[in-house]
Amino acid sequence: MKRAGILTLGVWVAVVMILVFGDRMVQAQSGTGYEAARQVIVTERALRHIEERHWPNSPAKGAGKFLQGITEDSLREFVSEAVANGQARPNTNGRPGQIYEYDFGRQIGVTIDGGPASKLRVVVSPRNQLITAFPF
Amino acid sequence: MHLDYRLSEDWDEDAMDLSTVAEADLRYYVAPGDIILRGDRTDLSAIWGWIPLIDFALALREIAEALAIAGGSETFEFTESEATLEFERRGQEVAISGSYAAGEVIVPLPVFREQVRELARRLDAELLAKHPELGRNPVYQALNLSGD
Repeated sequence: MKRAGILTLGVWVAVVMILVFGDRMVQAQSGTGYEAARQVIVTERALRHIEERHWPNSPAKGAGKFLQGITEDSLREFVSEAVANGQARPNTNGRPGQIYEYDFGRQIGVTIDGGPASKLRVVVSPRNQLITAFPF
Repeated sequence: MHLDYRLSEDWDEDAMDLSTVAEADLRYYVAPGDIILRGDRTDLSAIWGWIPLIDFALALREIAEALAIAGGSETFEFTESEATLEFERRGQEVAISGSYAAGEVIVPLPVFREQVRELARRLDAELLAKHPELGRNPVYQALNLSGD
């Protein structure tokens, strides 16, 4: 009888823990949040790739551009913030990796139509390497 | 429908070892270029120079198969912008529209599937002829671009 009571109490404690902390458990398991942000590796290749397409003076058509004044350091900060706080979703069209999208609430770049862009899309490989990042 | 591609002349092939690059590299960095996608009255071509063509061919093949099996609609997201191509199955036809251009391209489903397969085959043949080292890359082999 006493054992059954303890068991019931244990089940109720577990239910309450899941209800209260469930979202944080899922976040930790899915690798989002600050832990994942720290782990994103920014390679020289990724930086060149982004600069060639998305830097303010890039001639690449059909690609969002960062505002004048962007630097490699500020790009890293943008990426960290987007990965830490942005919406995460699996990459699309059979591509590997993860997409993070974050609205900075202020203009960070220009869309392909020439309008102001406040959002950043970040693509990270399964090995947590930055693949690309662009404003939209 | 006219579906084609054009490899960029600015691609720096020597920047990476094509015999060992990973899937993410193949789908984002390798073989950039333009896509040509035209109907009788609508031009959805994206002459942007940076579209990763291996990725485009693989994604379109997946979209074509999904439309053939399940119907409905599928979206292609460009890798470096918010632009998209929408593919909607309407009976035995596919309606294609782009977020960056007006109009629709309507094509019979069997024609769409064959043109998508043909584009992938031609791209595979051109890439392997120009860069035989790609053929030694097990990741590239596993992608089975030609679909054979």
